[in-house]
Amino acid sequence: MKTRDRILDTSLALFNEEGEAQTTTIDIANEMDISPGNLYYHFKGKDQIIAELFGQYEHALTHTLTAPIEKPLSADRSNVEDNWYYLYVVMEEMYQYRFLYHNLDDILQRYPDVRRGFKRLIQLKRATLFAICQTLLQQAVIDAKDQQLLGLVDNMTLNLTFWFNYDQLLHDKRAPQVTIHQGVLQLLTMVAPYLGDEQLRFYRDCEAIYADMLDAPA
Amino acid sequence: MSDEKSKVTDKASEIAKNIWLAGVGAYGKAVEDAQGRLEKAGVEPPKLFRELVKAGAVLEDEARDAIETTASAKSSVEERIARVRENFHMQRPARIEDLVALHKKVDQLNRKVDKLSKALALQQGSTTATRKAPAKEKASTRKKAPAKKAAPRKKATTRAKAKPAARKRKA
Repeated sequence: MKTRDRILDTSLALFNEEGEAQTTTIDIANEMDISPGNLYYHFKGKDQIIAELFGQYEHALTHTLTAPIEKPLSADRSNVEDNWYYLYVVMEEMYQYRFLYHNLDDILQRYPDVRRGFKRLIQLKRATLFAICQTLLQQAVIDAKDQQLLGLVDNMTLNLTFWFNYDQLLHDKRAPQVTIHQGVLQLLTMVAPYLGDEQLRFYRDCEAIYADMLDAPA
Repeated sequence: MSDEKSKVTDKASEIAKNIWLAGVGAYGKAVEDAQGRLEKAGVEPPKLFRELVKAGAVLEDEARDAIETTASAKSSVEERIARVRENFHMQRPARIEDLVALHKKVDQLNRKVDKLSKALALQQGSTTATRKAPAKEKASTRKKAPAKKAAPRKKATTRAKAKPAARKRKA
């Protein structure tokens, strides 16, 4: 692996574990056992590292988020569940760059470019969730009126965006799968009132898995 | 100057069109941004225009790249959904359908085992039969790869058993 890529990987790990604000370029160099000068050769400062990491994140998440807009995830009612599995895919991807969400306001204030990119991502999340809900509506999986649908989409976007932040405030540190699973469960809880019996069964499964996770020793 | 301006607006609308793929909200933002910049540009022209054209070109390239890679991205999203689905099925409580599906699988396997043991019996029955039996096995299990694998293995073991016997006879 190239030093440049190693710097990015190490930075991401440290940001996620220790927090972005608490991590300095010296910490990153120390963790990698390279000289700060060597790090400086590749990145002139932490803001460059953040910009690069955010670029990676925006690129990856944009690809994932555009998929349901371009083509419905479920061809018909038979594979509606793919829409719910997709929420895991999105949350897992977000979790890889969770440092952004743990300290969102602070990071967005310090890095205007990230702020712009983040705004694009939120708008895209909204468009993606809207596309998914539209598909579900067309396939008669959910039943909601226009205004309800928009409200639902906004609530889901809100939940998706701030879930890691909320989860961390409430529970400090939990196993990743519990955080992600409960995040998806929360999103589904919002859709649940609009679901028919058939799809409610999936929701019950989701609940059961969550209960098992909480029972299991950490 | 006005020529450059129209080029910029053309580009802006093209970018906006591309960005539309990325969602309704993003589209609104892109147009808003582009318009804001153009208004500002009207007051204080040359440098901003050049910047805008440059930024537009970069954005355009990025958008084009994004479109080109969506095909592969889509398949990767599908793959990831499949992985999550598998994981989820392993964790969720068993349903009656799961049990029915399992029963079916067991029945299929039973039938396969029956066929294989018949073939094996034929093989062991006579030396002429051993030549015919493998052909039969292949025909009956062509679609199922694991069964195909299992068959030669059994053949090998019977041969291995047969060899020492032959040696004993020689001795």
